[in-house]
Amino acid sequence: MKQVVCKKEDIMPGEMMQSNLGRIEIVVCRTLDGEFYAYTNKCIHQGASLSKGKLCGTSTQTDTVGEYNYCHEGEILRCPWHGREFDIKNDGKMLADPKVKLPSFQVDIEGDDVVVSK
Amino acid sequence: MSTTQTQTETKKSKQKLAIIDTDIHERVLYKDLLPYLDNPWRHYIENCGWIQEKHLPYVQPTVAGVDRADAVPPNGGLPGTDLKFMQEQLLDDIGHEFGILTGALDPSPSSMHGWPEMATALASAYNDWQIENWLEKDERLYGSIQIAAQEVESAVKEIERVGNHPKMVQVLLPIDDIMWGDPQYHPIFEAAERHNLMIGMHHNEPPSYYGKWPRYFIEWHTLIPTAHIMMITNLVFNGVFEKYPNLKCMMIEGGFTHVPHIMRKMDQQYKDLRHEVPWLKRKPSQVIKENFCFTTQPVEELSKKEFMQLLDQLGSEDIISFSTDYPHWDYDSPYRALPNLDKELSKKIFSENARNFYPKLPKKEGGEQ
Repeated sequence: MKQVVCKKEDIMPGEMMQSNLGRIEIVVCRTLDGEFYAYTNKCIHQGASLSKGKLCGTSTQTDTVGEYNYCHEGEILRCPWHGREFDIKNDGKMLADPKVKLPSFQVDIEGDDVVVSK
Repeated sequence: MSTTQTQTETKKSKQKLAIIDTDIHERVLYKDLLPYLDNPWRHYIENCGWIQEKHLPYVQPTVAGVDRADAVPPNGGLPGTDLKFMQEQLLDDIGHEFGILTGALDPSPSSMHGWPEMATALASAYNDWQIENWLEKDERLYGSIQIAAQEVESAVKEIERVGNHPKMVQVLLPIDDIMWGDPQYHPIFEAAERHNLMIGMHHNEPPSYYGKWPRYFIEWHTLIPTAHIMMITNLVFNGVFEKYPNLKCMMIEGGFTHVPHIMRKMDQQYKDLRHEVPWLKRKPSQVIKENFCFTTQPVEELSKKEFMQLLDQLGSEDIISFSTDYPHWDYDSPYRALPNLDKELSKKIFSENARNFYPKLPKKEGGEQ
């Protein structure tokens, strides 16, 4: 299955958009470097629509108690309900438990079109 | 209109669930209470900017503070303030049979550390606002009576004033830093029992670290069940349910997985130390099974096997009731939060246990339970 979901300019860097691939509800994210990523729009925890959450950054792991290193701005998809974090540049892995991840979709840019396929 | 999420929720189910949701947070704004307040109380809010003191040293580090990020009404107001939107996103979409309103904890008159006269006025205003704007506008919604419980005499008066309203099903008490089982508060329980009301206990901002605050929100939020455990212990050993045997207490938003432990611990202590509390005539676990109920949310992620093991340790299928905590950030989906349970058990947890708990909720037609 392959589908044009939007034009490149429909999603600005750091933003995301809900869309559909056939009957599958997806969320298309654009990181600050301009790259596109597509994932299922349902949180794998309790099914919230991820497009209602935030595309933001996070504080990465550290060895020092009390130290915060906030980075990855625009690369972390946070669920609108329980706030679980998914790394969209790293295969949609959940930061707290990288063994689980969001189902992802292939994204290709064809001219000005954002094309998602499964 | 951000109803995409709820549409997604119901799609998962072949049919809507019959749910009695035991924890829904409607939210009042101070400006909404003004028409229900006399002066000088209205003056202090309107002209002096009075708000209730808060204690938590952190904000919830979630996506939208205390709320689900998708629960903002179309008018941009705060989640829980718009009945129509709550109907669309929760009550209609999920198919609630009934929902119990539990307030949004600000104002929470019983949690105020000062100015008891203001707390009493706020409680009355809150009840009148809740009745007029929620209970009388949606037949599915039932209410909790706000009181200023630290002022026992006025609290009893408020229960007398609104306790006979057909849609008020419980008296709300916060779990904070007052132990409500102490005998000085017993007139509140006496008044509740007299009006066929139950007690709803919901934590507000309990300082759960030996009376202080942990460094991080994740610590405090993890420890909320410990505040519930303290209150259960206090109520049982102070003989509240021996004095008022028809009274029951719904422990709201603490989950239930801590209960098997505290039942056993209290029973063990009772065998050794019963003589210190000779007014307690039943084993604590029996009191818990007969006089308490526990809302499920925020439920841990449990397999069916784990869930059934905990239920076995609880020794009852009748004392847990499903709750969503809508519109808060740790909302539990009726379709996703619990494992797939057998039909009869599911029916108990999603509706019948709550129906049996609250005597003022309508029974099913034909007397079916």
